Amino acid sequence: MMLYTRREMARLLAGIPVSLAMTRQAGRETPGLTTVNGVVFGVETFSFHDLPPSGDPKLIPTIISNLRALGIAECEIMSGHIEPFPSVMTGWWVQSRRAPDFQRRREEARNWRLTVPMQYYRVIRRQFEDAGLRIYFYNVNFNETFTDEERDRTFEAAHELGAEGFSSSTVLTEARRLVPFVDRHKMFVAMHNHNNLSDPDQFATPQSFETALAMSKLFYVTLDIGHFTAGNNDPVTFIRRHHDRIKNIHVRDRKRDNGPNRPFGQGDTPIKEVLGLIRDNRYPIRAYLEYEYGSFRSSLDEVKACFEYCKDALD
Amino acid sequence: MLRVLQRRARLIVAAILFFATPRLLTAQQQPPLQDAGGYKAPTAALERGRAVYVLNHCHFCHGTDLTQATMGAANLVESVLVGLDQDGKSIGPLVRAGLPNLQTAMPSYRDLTAEEMVDLARYIHFLRQQAKYKELVVTSAQAPASDAQAGRTYFNGVGNCASCHSPVGDLAGISRKYDAPMLRSRLLRPGPAMPVEGAAATAGHAVHLRLLENYTRANVDNLLAYLQTLLQ
Repeated sequence: MMLYTRREMARLLAGIPVSLAMTRQAGRETPGLTTVNGVVFGVETFSFHDLPPSGDPKLIPTIISNLRALGIAECEIMSGHIEPFPSVMTGWWVQSRRAPDFQRRREEARNWRLTVPMQYYRVIRRQFEDAGLRIYFYNVNFNETFTDEERDRTFEAAHELGAEGFSSSTVLTEARRLVPFVDRHKMFVAMHNHNNLSDPDQFATPQSFETALAMSKLFYVTLDIGHFTAGNNDPVTFIRRHHDRIKNIHVRDRKRDNGPNRPFGQGDTPIKEVLGLIRDNRYPIRAYLEYEYGSFRSSLDEVKACFEYCKDALD
Repeated sequence: MLRVLQRRARLIVAAILFFATPRLLTAQQQPPLQDAGGYKAPTAALERGRAVYVLNHCHFCHGTDLTQATMGAANLVESVLVGLDQDGKSIGPLVRAGLPNLQTAMPSYRDLTAEEMVDLARYIHFLRQQAKYKELVVTSAQAPASDAQAGRTYFNGVGNCASCHSPVGDLAGISRKYDAPMLRSRLLRPGPAMPVEGAAATAGHAVHLRLLENYTRANVDNLLAYLQTLLQ
Protein backbone atom coordinates (compact mmCIF):
# COMPACT_ATOMS: atom_id res chain seq x y z
CA MET A 1 0.00 0.00 0.00
CA MET A 2 1.41 3.39 -0.96
CA LEU A 3 1.36 6.09 1.67
CA TYR A 4 2.28 9.71 1.31
CA THR A 5 5.03 11.14 3.47
CA ARG A 6 4.10 14.07 5.67
CA ARG A 7 5.98 16.39 3.36
CA GLU A 8 4.16 15.06 0.27
CA MET A 9 0.78 15.26 2.03
CA ALA A 10 1.41 18.84 3.16
CA ARG A 11 2.37 19.81 -0.39
CA LEU A 12 -0.78 18.22 -1.82
CA LEU A 13 -3.14 19.83 0.69
CA ALA A 14 -1.49 23.20 0.25
CA GLY A 15 -1.90 22.93 -3.51
CA ILE A 16 -5.66 22.32 -3.59
CA PRO A 17 -6.99 25.73 -2.53
CA VAL A 18 -4.38 27.54 -4.61
CA SER A 19 -5.41 25.74 -7.83
CA LEU A 20 -9.11 26.31 -7.11
CA ALA A 21 -8.54 29.99 -6.50
CA MET A 22 -6.58 30.27 -9.71
CA THR A 23 -9.39 28.66 -11.64
CA ARG A 24 -11.92 31.02 -10.14
CA GLN A 25 -9.79 34.06 -10.80
CA ALA A 26 -9.05 33.06 -14.37
CA GLY A 27 -12.71 32.22 -14.94
CA ARG A 28 -13.93 35.52 -13.64
CA GLU A 29 -11.71 37.48 -15.98
CA THR A 30 -11.74 35.44 -19.17
CA PRO A 31 -14.35 32.71 -19.61
CA GLY A 32 -12.84 30.21 -22.01
CA LEU A 33 -13.91 29.12 -25.46
CA THR A 34 -14.46 25.47 -26.26
CA THR A 35 -13.31 24.89 -29.80
CA VAL A 36 -12.90 21.77 -31.90
CA ASN A 37 -10.85 22.41 -35.01
CA GLY A 38 -11.88 26.04 -34.93
CA VAL A 39 -15.61 25.47 -34.33
CA VAL A 40 -16.87 26.97 -31.06
CA PHE A 41 -19.14 24.66 -29.09
CA GLY A 42 -21.82 25.40 -26.52
CA VAL A 43 -24.87 23.72 -25.03
CA GLU A 44 -28.56 24.64 -25.12
CA THR A 45 -29.57 23.99 -21.50
CA PHE A 46 -32.85 22.45 -22.72
CA SER A 47 -30.61 19.40 -23.29
CA PHE A 48 -30.47 18.80 -19.54
CA HIS A 49 -33.88 17.18 -19.11
CA ASP A 50 -33.28 15.93 -15.59
CA LEU A 51 -32.58 19.26 -13.90
CA PRO A 52 -34.22 20.41 -10.66
CA PRO A 53 -37.37 22.46 -11.33
CA SER A 54 -37.43 26.20 -12.03
CA GLY A 55 -36.58 28.21 -8.93
CA ASP A 56 -34.83 25.33 -7.16
CA PRO A 57 -31.56 26.56 -5.61
CA LYS A 58 -29.76 23.50 -7.00
CA LEU A 59 -30.71 24.26 -10.62
CA ILE A 60 -27.94 26.70 -11.59
CA PRO A 61 -25.21 24.72 -9.73
CA THR A 62 -26.34 21.58 -11.61
CA ILE A 63 -26.12 23.32 -15.00
CA ILE A 64 -22.67 24.60 -14.08
CA SER A 65 -21.58 21.17 -12.90
CA ASN A 66 -22.86 19.59 -16.13
CA LEU A 67 -21.05 22.13 -18.32
CA ARG A 68 -17.83 21.54 -16.41
CA ALA A 69 -18.25 17.77 -16.72
CA LEU A 70 -18.67 18.23 -20.48
CA GLY A 71 -15.73 20.60 -20.73
CA ILE A 72 -17.90 23.14 -22.56
CA ALA A 73 -17.50 26.74 -21.52
CA GLU A 74 -20.64 28.46 -22.78
CA CYS A 75 -24.35 27.93 -22.98
CA GLU A 76 -27.66 29.22 -24.25
CA ILE A 77 -29.73 29.27 -21.09
CA MET A 78 -33.52 28.94 -21.12
CA SER A 79 -35.53 31.59 -19.30
CA GLY A 80 -37.11 28.80 -17.24
CA HIS A 81 -33.64 28.02 -15.89
CA ILE A 82 -33.08 31.62 -14.82
CA GLU A 83 -36.53 32.70 -13.68
CA PRO A 84 -38.28 30.95 -10.77
CA PHE A 85 -41.12 29.70 -12.97
CA PRO A 86 -41.21 27.46 -16.06
CA SER A 87 -41.23 29.15 -19.46
CA VAL A 88 -44.68 27.68 -20.11
CA MET A 89 -45.96 30.42 -17.76
CA THR A 90 -44.80 33.12 -20.18
CA GLY A 91 -47.06 32.31 -23.06
CA TRP A 92 -45.00 30.90 -25.92
CA TRP A 93 -47.11 27.77 -26.36
CA VAL A 94 -50.48 28.91 -27.59
CA GLN A 95 -52.08 25.71 -26.25
CA SER A 96 -50.83 26.53 -22.74
CA ARG A 97 -52.69 29.86 -22.83
CA ARG A 98 -55.95 27.89 -22.71
CA ALA A 99 -55.22 26.55 -19.21
CA PRO A 100 -57.82 27.88 -16.73
CA ASP A 101 -55.27 29.58 -14.46
CA PHE A 102 -52.99 30.82 -17.26
CA GLN A 103 -53.89 34.53 -16.94
CA ARG A 104 -53.24 34.57 -13.20
CA ARG A 105 -49.91 32.74 -13.57
CA ARG A 106 -48.87 34.95 -16.49
CA GLU A 107 -49.57 38.04 -14.40
CA GLU A 108 -47.45 36.61 -11.56
CA ALA A 109 -44.57 36.02 -13.99
CA ARG A 110 -44.88 39.57 -15.33
CA ASN A 111 -44.90 41.09 -11.84
CA TRP A 112 -41.80 39.10 -10.94
CA ARG A 113 -39.97 40.30 -14.05
CA LEU A 114 -40.88 43.93 -13.43
CA THR A 115 -39.89 43.95 -9.78
CA VAL A 116 -36.91 41.58 -9.38
CA PRO A 117 -33.72 43.54 -8.60
CA MET A 118 -31.06 43.34 -11.32
CA GLN A 119 -28.71 41.99 -8.65
CA TYR A 120 -30.60 38.68 -9.03
CA TYR A 121 -29.19 38.25 -12.53
CA ARG A 122 -25.73 39.51 -11.56
CA VAL A 123 -25.46 36.79 -8.91
CA ILE A 124 -26.20 34.11 -11.52
CA ARG A 125 -23.68 35.60 -13.94
CA ARG A 126 -21.08 35.57 -11.16
CA GLN A 127 -21.77 31.87 -10.46
CA PHE A 128 -21.01 31.03 -14.10
CA GLU A 129 -17.97 33.28 -14.32
CA ASP A 130 -16.53 31.92 -11.08
CA ALA A 131 -16.64 28.49 -12.71
CA GLY A 132 -14.91 29.76 -15.86
CA LEU A 133 -18.15 29.63 -17.86
CA ARG A 134 -20.40 32.11 -19.57
CA ILE A 135 -23.97 32.57 -20.69
CA TYR A 136 -23.61 33.55 -24.34
CA PHE A 137 -27.31 33.52 -25.31
CA TYR A 138 -30.35 34.17 -23.14
CA ASN A 139 -33.12 31.99 -24.58
CA VAL A 140 -36.38 33.89 -24.18
CA ASN A 141 -39.43 33.04 -26.28
CA PHE A 142 -40.85 36.52 -26.94
CA ASN A 143 -44.55 36.52 -27.72
CA GLU A 144 -47.65 38.70 -27.76
CA THR A 145 -48.32 38.18 -24.03
CA PHE A 146 -45.26 40.36 -23.20
CA THR A 147 -45.87 44.02 -22.41
CA ASP A 148 -43.37 46.59 -23.70
CA GLU A 149 -42.18 47.22 -20.15
CA GLU A 150 -41.58 43.49 -19.80
CA ARG A 151 -39.63 43.37 -23.06
CA ASP A 152 -37.39 46.20 -21.83
CA ARG A 153 -36.76 44.46 -18.51
CA THR A 154 -35.93 41.19 -20.30
CA PHE A 155 -33.28 42.96 -22.41
CA GLU A 156 -31.84 44.49 -19.23
CA ALA A 157 -31.81 41.03 -17.63
CA ALA A 158 -29.89 39.59 -20.60
CA HIS A 159 -27.34 42.36 -20.27
CA GLU A 160 -26.87 41.64 -16.55
CA LEU A 161 -26.46 37.93 -17.26
CA GLY A 162 -23.55 38.79 -19.53
CA ALA A 163 -25.31 37.45 -22.62
CA GLU A 164 -24.32 38.76 -26.03
CA GLY A 165 -27.91 38.49 -27.15
CA PHE A 166 -31.00 36.33 -27.35
CA SER A 167 -31.95 33.12 -29.02
CA SER A 168 -35.71 33.10 -29.34
CA SER A 169 -38.45 30.78 -30.49
CA THR A 170 -40.81 33.47 -31.67
CA VAL A 171 -42.97 34.46 -34.62
CA LEU A 172 -42.73 37.08 -37.36
CA THR A 173 -45.43 39.33 -35.86
CA GLU A 174 -43.52 39.43 -32.57
CA ALA A 175 -40.24 40.07 -34.43
CA ARG A 176 -41.81 43.27 -35.84
CA ARG A 177 -42.59 44.41 -32.27
CA LEU A 178 -39.00 43.70 -31.21
CA VAL A 179 -37.33 46.03 -33.77
CA PRO A 180 -37.26 49.16 -31.54
CA PHE A 181 -36.09 47.08 -28.56
CA VAL A 182 -33.01 45.63 -30.28
CA ASP A 183 -32.16 49.14 -31.47
CA ARG A 184 -32.62 50.70 -28.04
CA HIS A 185 -30.66 48.01 -26.17
CA LYS A 186 -28.13 47.36 -28.96
CA MET A 187 -28.52 43.65 -28.49
CA PHE A 188 -29.26 41.00 -31.11
CA VAL A 189 -32.12 38.52 -31.24
CA ALA A 190 -31.44 35.28 -33.13
CA MET A 191 -34.62 33.64 -34.37
CA HIS A 192 -34.92 29.92 -33.73
CA ASN A 193 -36.91 27.68 -36.05
CA HIS A 194 -39.16 24.68 -35.62
CA ASN A 195 -40.78 22.86 -38.54
CA ASN A 196 -44.40 23.99 -38.62
CA LEU A 197 -44.81 24.61 -42.35
CA SER A 198 -48.51 25.46 -42.26
CA ASP A 199 -48.36 28.70 -40.25
CA PRO A 200 -46.58 31.50 -42.17
CA ASP A 201 -46.00 33.38 -38.91
CA GLN A 202 -43.70 30.61 -37.63
CA PHE A 203 -39.98 30.37 -38.28
CA ALA A 204 -39.58 27.16 -40.28
CA THR A 205 -38.55 28.03 -43.84
CA PRO A 206 -35.74 30.06 -45.47
CA GLN A 207 -38.36 32.66 -46.44
CA SER A 208 -39.53 33.18 -42.85
CA PHE A 209 -35.94 33.86 -41.74
CA GLU A 210 -35.29 36.16 -44.70
CA THR A 211 -38.39 38.22 -43.86
CA ALA A 212 -37.12 38.76 -40.30
CA LEU A 213 -33.52 39.46 -41.34
CA ALA A 214 -34.81 42.30 -43.54
CA MET A 215 -36.49 43.94 -40.52
CA SER A 216 -33.34 44.77 -38.55
CA LYS A 217 -29.57 44.46 -38.76
CA LEU A 218 -29.71 43.16 -35.20
CA PHE A 219 -31.84 40.20 -36.14
CA TYR A 220 -29.94 36.97 -36.67
CA VAL A 221 -30.65 33.25 -36.93
CA THR A 222 -30.31 30.36 -34.51
CA LEU A 223 -30.59 27.62 -37.12
CA ASP A 224 -31.88 24.39 -35.65
CA ILE A 225 -30.50 22.06 -38.30
CA GLY A 226 -32.57 19.10 -37.05
CA HIS A 227 -35.93 20.90 -37.22
CA PHE A 228 -34.88 22.47 -40.53
CA THR A 229 -34.22 19.00 -41.95
CA ALA A 230 -37.50 17.65 -40.53
CA GLY A 231 -39.21 20.47 -42.45
CA ASN A 232 -37.47 19.18 -45.63
CA ASN A 233 -35.18 22.21 -45.90
CA ASP A 234 -31.46 22.00 -46.57
CA PRO A 235 -29.30 23.52 -43.80
CA VAL A 236 -26.10 23.39 -45.92
CA THR A 237 -27.60 25.60 -48.64
CA PHE A 238 -29.08 27.97 -46.07
CA ILE A 239 -25.78 28.33 -44.18
CA ARG A 240 -23.84 28.98 -47.42
CA ARG A 241 -26.29 31.76 -48.28
CA HIS A 242 -26.74 33.37 -44.86
CA HIS A 243 -23.60 32.52 -42.86
CA ASP A 244 -23.02 36.16 -41.93
CA ARG A 245 -26.45 36.35 -40.26
CA ILE A 246 -26.34 33.08 -38.33
CA LYS A 247 -25.16 33.31 -34.73
CA ASN A 248 -25.36 29.62 -33.89
CA ILE A 249 -26.78 26.31 -34.96
CA HIS A 250 -28.63 23.86 -32.74
CA VAL A 251 -27.09 20.49 -33.46
CA ARG A 252 -29.61 17.69 -33.34
CA ASP A 253 -30.50 14.85 -35.70
CA ARG A 254 -34.03 14.42 -37.02
CA LYS A 255 -35.51 12.45 -39.88
CA ARG A 256 -37.02 14.27 -42.84
CA ASP A 257 -40.81 14.59 -43.36
CA ASN A 258 -41.41 15.64 -39.73
CA GLY A 259 -39.57 12.54 -38.54
CA PRO A 260 -38.47 12.03 -34.94
CA ASN A 261 -35.26 12.99 -33.17
CA ARG A 262 -32.64 10.28 -33.36
CA PRO A 263 -29.21 9.72 -31.79
CA PHE A 264 -26.58 11.70 -33.71
CA GLY A 265 -25.75 9.93 -36.96
CA GLN A 266 -29.03 7.99 -37.17
CA GLY A 267 -31.29 10.69 -38.60
CA ASP A 268 -31.29 12.58 -41.92
CA THR A 269 -29.66 15.79 -40.66
CA PRO A 270 -26.32 16.48 -42.40
CA ILE A 271 -24.46 17.16 -39.14
CA LYS A 272 -21.03 16.24 -40.51
CA GLU A 273 -21.45 18.36 -43.64
CA VAL A 274 -22.67 21.36 -41.64
CA LEU A 275 -19.85 21.20 -39.09
CA GLY A 276 -17.31 20.70 -41.89
CA LEU A 277 -18.75 23.70 -43.74
CA ILE A 278 -18.36 25.92 -40.66
CA ARG A 279 -14.82 24.62 -40.03
CA ASP A 280 -13.57 24.87 -43.60
CA ASN A 281 -14.97 28.34 -44.21
CA ARG A 282 -14.18 29.61 -40.70
CA TYR A 283 -17.71 30.90 -40.39
CA PRO A 284 -18.20 32.58 -36.99
CA ILE A 285 -21.16 30.30 -36.28
CA ARG A 286 -21.30 28.58 -32.90
CA ALA A 287 -22.38 24.93 -32.69
CA TYR A 288 -24.73 24.36 -29.75
CA LEU A 289 -25.58 20.82 -28.76
CA GLU A 290 -29.23 20.03 -28.20
CA TYR A 291 -30.12 16.58 -26.93
CA GLU A 292 -33.74 15.54 -27.44
CA TYR A 293 -33.78 11.92 -28.63
CA GLY A 294 -34.95 9.25 -26.20
CA SER A 295 -32.65 7.34 -23.88
CA PHE A 296 -32.66 5.57 -20.54
CA ARG A 297 -29.34 7.22 -19.68
CA SER A 298 -28.88 10.58 -18.01
CA SER A 299 -28.96 13.75 -20.08
CA LEU A 300 -25.36 14.42 -19.18
CA ASP A 301 -24.28 11.04 -20.58
CA GLU A 302 -26.18 11.69 -23.79
CA VAL A 303 -24.87 15.24 -24.29
CA LYS A 304 -21.37 13.79 -23.84
CA ALA A 305 -22.16 11.25 -26.59
CA CYS A 306 -23.44 14.08 -28.84
CA PHE A 307 -20.23 16.05 -28.25
CA GLU A 308 -18.08 13.01 -29.02
CA TYR A 309 -19.94 12.52 -32.29
CA CYS A 310 -19.27 16.15 -33.26
CA LYS A 311 -15.60 15.90 -32.32
CA ASP A 312 -15.25 12.81 -34.51
CA ALA A 313 -17.06 14.60 -37.32
CA LEU A 314 -14.57 17.46 -37.17
CA ASP A 315 -11.51 15.27 -36.80
CA MET B 1 5.63 9.33 14.16
CA LEU B 2 5.66 7.94 10.62
CA ARG B 3 4.51 4.56 11.91
CA VAL B 4 1.59 6.17 13.77
CA LEU B 5 0.49 7.93 10.61
CA GLN B 6 0.73 4.72 8.59
CA ARG B 7 -1.37 2.88 11.18
CA ARG B 8 -4.03 5.61 11.10
CA ALA B 9 -4.14 5.50 7.32
CA ARG B 10 -4.62 1.73 7.37
CA LEU B 11 -7.47 2.11 9.87
CA ILE B 12 -9.16 4.71 7.68
CA VAL B 13 -8.88 2.50 4.59
CA ALA B 14 -10.23 -0.51 6.55
CA ALA B 15 -13.17 1.56 7.80
CA ILE B 16 -13.98 2.75 4.26
CA LEU B 17 -13.91 -0.82 2.94
CA PHE B 18 -16.03 -2.06 5.87
CA PHE B 19 -18.77 0.51 5.39
CA ALA B 20 -18.72 0.88 1.63
CA THR B 21 -18.48 -2.75 0.47
CA PRO B 22 -21.94 -3.95 1.58
CA ARG B 23 -23.47 -0.90 -0.09
CA LEU B 24 -21.60 -1.55 -3.32
CA LEU B 25 -22.68 -5.18 -3.32
CA THR B 26 -26.28 -4.21 -2.63
CA ALA B 27 -26.19 -1.71 -5.47
CA GLN B 28 -24.88 -4.38 -7.84
CA GLN B 29 -27.44 -6.98 -6.79
CA GLN B 30 -30.47 -4.71 -6.97
CA PRO B 31 -30.84 -2.91 -10.29
CA PRO B 32 -32.19 0.64 -9.98
CA LEU B 33 -35.97 0.85 -10.16
CA GLN B 34 -35.84 4.18 -11.94
CA ASP B 35 -33.87 5.61 -14.86
CA ALA B 36 -34.09 8.66 -17.11
CA GLY B 37 -37.30 7.24 -18.60
CA GLY B 38 -39.15 6.92 -15.31
CA TYR B 39 -39.97 3.85 -13.22
CA LYS B 40 -39.42 0.35 -14.56
CA ALA B 41 -42.68 -1.27 -15.64
CA PRO B 42 -44.02 -4.23 -13.62
CA THR B 43 -44.15 -6.74 -16.51
CA ALA B 44 -41.96 -7.55 -19.50
CA ALA B 45 -44.72 -6.55 -21.96
CA LEU B 46 -45.19 -3.17 -20.30
CA GLU B 47 -41.43 -2.70 -20.17
CA ARG B 48 -41.36 -3.19 -23.96
CA GLY B 49 -43.98 -0.46 -24.21
CA ARG B 50 -41.93 1.78 -21.94
CA ALA B 51 -38.95 1.29 -24.25
CA VAL B 52 -41.01 2.47 -27.23
CA TYR B 53 -42.33 5.43 -25.22
CA VAL B 54 -38.93 6.54 -23.93
CA LEU B 55 -36.71 5.78 -26.93
CA ASN B 56 -39.08 7.79 -29.12
CA HIS B 57 -38.81 10.64 -26.60
CA CYS B 58 -42.57 10.77 -25.92
CA HIS B 59 -41.76 11.47 -22.24
CA PHE B 60 -40.08 14.81 -22.96
CA CYS B 61 -43.45 16.32 -23.97
CA HIS B 62 -46.04 14.04 -22.32
CA GLY B 63 -44.14 13.34 -19.07
CA THR B 64 -42.66 10.12 -17.74
CA ASP B 65 -45.93 9.31 -15.94
CA LEU B 66 -48.26 11.30 -18.27
CA THR B 67 -48.94 13.90 -15.56
CA GLN B 68 -46.26 16.46 -16.50
CA ALA B 69 -47.20 17.35 -20.07
CA THR B 70 -45.19 20.31 -21.29
CA MET B 71 -44.36 22.36 -24.43
CA GLY B 72 -48.01 22.54 -25.38
CA ALA B 73 -48.38 18.74 -25.59
CA ALA B 74 -51.71 17.04 -24.92
CA ASN B 75 -52.43 15.82 -21.40
CA LEU B 76 -52.82 12.11 -22.14
CA VAL B 77 -54.52 11.45 -18.79
CA GLU B 78 -57.42 13.64 -19.88
CA SER B 79 -57.35 12.93 -23.63
CA VAL B 80 -60.70 11.66 -24.93
CA LEU B 81 -58.97 9.91 -27.83
CA VAL B 82 -56.75 7.88 -25.49
CA GLY B 83 -59.80 7.06 -23.38
CA LEU B 84 -61.50 5.56 -26.43
CA ASP B 85 -58.43 3.68 -27.59
CA GLN B 86 -57.80 -0.04 -27.40
CA ASP B 87 -54.39 -1.48 -28.33
CA GLY B 88 -53.50 1.55 -30.41
CA LYS B 89 -56.42 1.32 -32.84
CA SER B 90 -57.41 4.96 -32.18
CA ILE B 91 -54.10 6.57 -31.26
CA GLY B 92 -51.96 4.57 -33.71
CA PRO B 93 -52.90 6.55 -36.85
CA LEU B 94 -52.22 9.83 -35.04
CA VAL B 95 -48.86 8.63 -33.69
CA ARG B 96 -47.83 7.49 -37.16
CA ALA B 97 -48.94 10.70 -38.88
CA GLY B 98 -47.71 13.09 -36.18
CA LEU B 99 -49.16 16.58 -35.79
CA PRO B 100 -47.09 18.70 -38.18
CA ASN B 101 -49.35 21.73 -37.84
CA LEU B 102 -48.90 22.14 -34.12
CA GLN B 103 -46.90 25.20 -33.09
CA THR B 104 -44.02 22.86 -32.19
CA ALA B 105 -44.91 19.88 -34.36
CA MET B 106 -45.37 16.39 -32.94
CA PRO B 107 -43.09 14.19 -35.07
CA SER B 108 -44.37 11.37 -37.24
CA TYR B 109 -43.50 7.92 -35.89
CA ARG B 110 -44.27 6.14 -39.15
CA ASP B 111 -41.51 3.56 -38.63
CA LEU B 112 -43.11 1.91 -35.59
CA THR B 113 -44.09 -1.72 -36.21
CA ALA B 114 -47.60 -2.98 -35.45
CA GLU B 115 -46.24 -4.80 -32.38
CA GLU B 116 -44.46 -1.70 -31.13
CA MET B 117 -47.67 0.31 -31.50
CA VAL B 118 -49.63 -2.20 -29.40
CA ASP B 119 -46.88 -2.23 -26.74
CA LEU B 120 -46.82 1.59 -26.73
CA ALA B 121 -50.61 1.88 -26.42
CA ARG B 122 -50.80 -0.62 -23.57
CA TYR B 123 -48.04 1.20 -21.69
CA ILE B 124 -49.84 4.54 -22.14
CA HIS B 125 -53.07 2.96 -20.82
CA PHE B 126 -51.16 1.53 -17.84
CA LEU B 127 -49.74 4.98 -17.01
CA ARG B 128 -53.16 6.56 -17.45
CA GLN B 129 -54.78 4.06 -15.09
CA GLN B 130 -52.11 4.71 -12.46
CA ALA B 131 -52.54 8.47 -12.82
CA LYS B 132 -56.34 8.37 -12.72
CA TYR B 133 -56.32 6.17 -9.62
CA LYS B 134 -53.94 8.54 -7.80
CA GLU B 135 -56.09 11.52 -8.78
CA LEU B 136 -59.49 10.05 -7.94
CA VAL B 137 -58.72 8.03 -4.82
CA VAL B 138 -58.27 11.30 -2.94
CA THR B 139 -61.44 13.13 -1.97
CA SER B 140 -61.50 16.70 -3.16
CA ALA B 141 -62.57 19.58 -0.92
CA GLN B 142 -63.54 21.56 -4.03
CA ALA B 143 -65.83 18.86 -5.42
CA PRO B 144 -69.56 19.69 -5.43
CA ALA B 145 -71.79 17.66 -3.12
CA SER B 146 -72.20 14.12 -4.37
CA ASP B 147 -75.57 12.99 -5.69
CA ALA B 148 -76.69 9.39 -4.93
CA GLN B 149 -79.53 9.60 -7.46
CA ALA B 150 -77.08 10.63 -10.21
CA GLY B 151 -74.87 7.73 -9.10
CA ARG B 152 -77.79 5.33 -9.47
CA THR B 153 -78.51 6.68 -12.95
CA TYR B 154 -74.86 6.22 -13.94
CA PHE B 155 -74.88 2.70 -12.42
CA ASN B 156 -77.88 1.64 -14.49
CA GLY B 157 -77.00 3.70 -17.57
CA VAL B 158 -73.73 4.99 -19.02
CA GLY B 159 -71.52 3.12 -16.54
CA ASN B 160 -73.18 -0.17 -17.49
CA CYS B 161 -72.45 -1.40 -13.94
CA ALA B 162 -75.82 -3.19 -13.75
CA SER B 163 -74.72 -5.62 -16.46
CA CYS B 164 -72.39 -7.29 -13.92
CA HIS B 165 -73.48 -6.03 -10.47
CA SER B 166 -76.74 -5.89 -8.53
CA PRO B 167 -77.70 -3.71 -5.55
CA VAL B 168 -79.66 -6.63 -4.13
CA GLY B 169 -77.06 -9.25 -5.09
CA ASP B 170 -73.27 -8.92 -4.86
CA LEU B 171 -73.47 -5.29 -3.73
CA ALA B 172 -76.13 -5.72 -1.05
CA GLY B 173 -74.85 -4.27 2.21
CA ILE B 174 -71.59 -3.16 0.57
CA SER B 175 -71.49 0.04 2.62
CA ARG B 176 -71.50 -2.02 5.83
CA LYS B 177 -68.60 -4.10 4.56
CA TYR B 178 -66.27 -1.24 3.59
CA ASP B 179 -65.78 2.26 4.94
CA ALA B 180 -65.91 5.16 2.48
CA PRO B 181 -62.16 5.35 1.61
CA MET B 182 -61.96 1.57 1.05
CA LEU B 183 -65.16 1.57 -0.96
CA ARG B 184 -63.81 4.40 -3.13
CA SER B 185 -60.55 2.52 -3.67
CA ARG B 186 -62.31 -0.74 -4.60
CA LEU B 187 -64.74 1.09 -6.86
CA LEU B 188 -61.80 2.58 -8.76
CA ARG B 189 -59.66 -0.53 -8.90
CA PRO B 190 -61.09 -3.78 -7.51
CA GLY B 191 -58.12 -5.82 -8.80
CA PRO B 192 -54.40 -5.68 -7.95
CA ALA B 193 -52.66 -2.30 -7.80
CA MET B 194 -50.11 -3.39 -10.40
CA PRO B 195 -50.21 -5.94 -13.23
CA VAL B 196 -48.43 -9.15 -12.26
CA GLU B 197 -46.03 -10.98 -14.58
CA GLY B 198 -47.71 -14.07 -16.02
CA ALA B 199 -51.14 -13.25 -14.62
CA ALA B 200 -53.61 -11.87 -17.15
CA ALA B 201 -56.22 -9.47 -15.82
CA THR B 202 -59.66 -11.05 -15.42
CA ALA B 203 -62.38 -9.84 -17.79
CA GLY B 204 -64.05 -7.97 -14.94
CA HIS B 205 -60.81 -6.35 -13.89
CA ALA B 206 -60.10 -5.29 -17.46
CA VAL B 207 -63.55 -3.65 -17.67
CA HIS B 208 -62.88 -1.78 -14.42
CA LEU B 209 -59.50 -0.54 -15.66
CA ARG B 210 -61.18 0.81 -18.78
CA LEU B 211 -63.82 2.52 -16.64
CA LEU B 212 -61.09 3.90 -14.39
CA GLU B 213 -59.43 5.60 -17.37
CA ASN B 214 -62.66 7.41 -18.22
CA TYR B 215 -64.27 8.24 -14.87
CA THR B 216 -64.79 11.88 -14.02
CA ARG B 217 -64.61 12.96 -10.38
CA ALA B 218 -68.39 13.46 -10.41
CA ASN B 219 -68.90 9.88 -11.70
CA VAL B 220 -66.89 8.48 -8.79
CA ASP B 221 -68.35 10.75 -6.09
CA ASN B 222 -71.91 10.05 -7.22
CA LEU B 223 -71.36 6.29 -7.56
CA LEU B 224 -69.84 6.21 -4.09
CA ALA B 225 -72.82 8.12 -2.69
CA TYR B 226 -75.16 5.61 -4.32
CA LEU B 227 -73.23 2.56 -3.05
CA GLN B 228 -73.32 4.04 0.46
CA THR B 229 -77.12 3.86 0.33
CA LEU B 230 -76.87 0.07 -0.11
CA LEU B 231 -77.04 -0.83 3.56
CA GLN B 232 -78.72 -4.24 3.28
